[in-house]
Amino acid sequence: MSSHLTDEQQRIVKSADAFADEFLEPIAADLDRNGKYPKAVIAELAKHDLLGLVVTKSAGGTGAGFTAHVEALQRLSQTCPAVGSIINNHTAASYAISKWGSEAQKTAHLSALAKGQALGAICVYESGAALGLGADALLGTQAGTNIKLNGKKAFVRNAGVADTYLVFATLPADDGKTAISAFIVDAKTTGLSVGVAAQTMGLRGCPVAEVTFENVVLDSAARLGAAKDGAAILSETLSVYALGEAAQTVGIGKAAAKHAAAAAKHRIQFGHPIYSLQAIQTLLAEIASDAHLAWLGIRHAAQLIEDGAPFETEAAIVKSFLGRFGAKLLVDAIQVEGGLGICETAPPHFGGALPLARLFRDLAGTTLLETPADFPEALIAASL
Amino acid sequence: MNILSPEQTAIQAAAKDFVARHIIPKAVEFDKSGAFHSFLLEEAKPGKIFGMAIPKAFGGLDYTPLTQALVLEEWGYGCCGMATTLAASVLSMESVLLAGNDAQKKQFFTPMLNGKIGAFALTEPSAGSDVGGGKTTAVKTAEGYTLHGSKCWITNGGIAEVFTIFAQTDPAKGVKGISAFIVERGTPGFTVGDEEDKLGLRSSNTVFLGLDNVKIPAANLLGKEGDGMKIAMQTLDLARPAIGALAVGLAQRALDECVKLLHEKFPGKPFPGQALQFKLADMKIQIEAARQVLHHMMALREAKLPFSEESAMAKTFGTDVAMNVTATAVRLMGAAGYSSELAKFMRDAKVMQIYEGTNQIQRLVIARAVLSRPKSAAPAEKVLAK
Repeated sequence: MSSHLTDEQQRIVKSADAFADEFLEPIAADLDRNGKYPKAVIAELAKHDLLGLVVTKSAGGTGAGFTAHVEALQRLSQTCPAVGSIINNHTAASYAISKWGSEAQKTAHLSALAKGQALGAICVYESGAALGLGADALLGTQAGTNIKLNGKKAFVRNAGVADTYLVFATLPADDGKTAISAFIVDAKTTGLSVGVAAQTMGLRGCPVAEVTFENVVLDSAARLGAAKDGAAILSETLSVYALGEAAQTVGIGKAAAKHAAAAAKHRIQFGHPIYSLQAIQTLLAEIASDAHLAWLGIRHAAQLIEDGAPFETEAAIVKSFLGRFGAKLLVDAIQVEGGLGICETAPPHFGGALPLARLFRDLAGTTLLETPADFPEALIAASL
Repeated sequence: MNILSPEQTAIQAAAKDFVARHIIPKAVEFDKSGAFHSFLLEEAKPGKIFGMAIPKAFGGLDYTPLTQALVLEEWGYGCCGMATTLAASVLSMESVLLAGNDAQKKQFFTPMLNGKIGAFALTEPSAGSDVGGGKTTAVKTAEGYTLHGSKCWITNGGIAEVFTIFAQTDPAKGVKGISAFIVERGTPGFTVGDEEDKLGLRSSNTVFLGLDNVKIPAANLLGKEGDGMKIAMQTLDLARPAIGALAVGLAQRALDECVKLLHEKFPGKPFPGQALQFKLADMKIQIEAARQVLHHMMALREAKLPFSEESAMAKTFGTDVAMNVTATAVRLMGAAGYSSELAKFMRDAKVMQIYEGTNQIQRLVIARAVLSRPKSAAPAEKVLAK
């Protein structure tokens, strides 16, 4: 695959690999255990050019593009998917501002995001069945030329550590109905508050919490895109986000295959390494195959993004595929390691690091549906 | 639905009540701490909770296999971590039931009827799927036997009072040289290692056991020297469906919690979209099928018909279904599922595909039965060892 990468993309891949080895490998297990946001890592990520990949050079980024972004995410997630999630959420916000931002908005935000001076986050989910429904829905009202936001966003990643939130809210529309609008909101804005971080199964270290908006007043310059663009911004931002999560999932799957294969070569049962058993070979081969096929889908969608072509159906196909096969990558890899595979830390009589249990918990988080009603298959079916 | 006798219905209802009062409210707390839930044994004592597999002649309740499965399903519904402590204690008795004399049965069952815990110790660092690869030895002496070696991944090892332990009395004979022994906690030379920090079933105790010249009386030998492999395999045949039963209960719980979350998410909308309805239907189909495989296996056992193949199927299918159903539940419920108890169910299910013989080993057992007609009773491990 690397032969298909440009010189610049290869430079990013090398940078991501070096970053993972030098900065993530030593902290990944602790980060998972204590769940504390790794603030010190952000500056290093910026130094390694990993925070501004989808931001053009003229706007202060590296301009390496979306393919470089998914390559980097995939590689970092082989070691530490939680830091992958921090980057993915950050990048989804950067992407939307790059694509729909006015010149003034780009100048105000992109350079800081790309250089790691500001961390981005997206505020999408609500506790109701869909956006704008339910008691806590984030609703906007017109107050002169300003917009006033009231309500709650749930399960916001990078919550409390982000400086710049991309916020989706429901506003009254001209036709008497409602419409989704996107806003860029500074974390320090009066009336914005962040709840207690939730305890999650995995991806620990990438905080997730509720963000509450109480009479948050935004001037018209905070709106991203035109009023009619809101739904398209939401849909495309989520597709970009889904591709990032897919890249994380593939990285986790690749790491799982690597660790499980090493364990199988080491583990002697019935007089031979279990790697020599057909059942084990088949299991490992299926993990590698599923991860590879998903990866081809991700690279294809990334290329469409770079070409400026429609890509959301292709992103949905990847999400659908990993919805069916994603969890299996780790469910099967752990079988190869047996008792050791389900240990969070290595028992003293076995020794060695044991990342599979952590990766299993992380992977459960990179293959979630946004809401119980939102199936990627709907988008795919609509394209047929 | 099951067609149960009035007695079974009453026992099932009592188990549901026990689980609702004592297990469900504490499950998350003990999953987090991984601590031993000793309070449960106090609660369990009046109901003779470990007595369900003990014959009435020894003071037990002597439930039929199917009735035992009904109780195990309810335990699994509550918390598979705590349920594993209880179930492993019940299952540790199976070797004694199979091969013990009356004195040994009394020695093993009496503490358990008083709420003490038992453990079954077969696995070793070099002998996981390859049961015959064990290095622990038992040397015959004038007074009895001296056990030397180690055991790993022993469920209840750190909290049990009585153990069935397997060791080589004649290493030259391989699997035919394995023997089974009763060992009591506190015997000099018997040591318990640190508790393992597991992905799931976190409140269940899993430890390494050290046996440094542990001297036991000759009366503690179960059956004859060399019977160990046969006893171990027959014990596992009895134990595996119990894991299947916990898994069926776990999967049912995950589906129920998923539906509960859905109703919270879609108030006033009893039927979500078809995509979601079909997922829920698939979960239900799998759970019901796993339950029927389990109940059929228990019926075979009750009728004294061969059940080794069905036992492996009940464990494999039940735990694979639990894995699928819990993972689907987490995915469907999105970020809400990821920070809910559904995530615990998924972690628990993963461990259950491994313990009591990995689902890969179960498939070897099943494949060998499929390929050899008439059915033979020899364990798959033996075939591989050649």
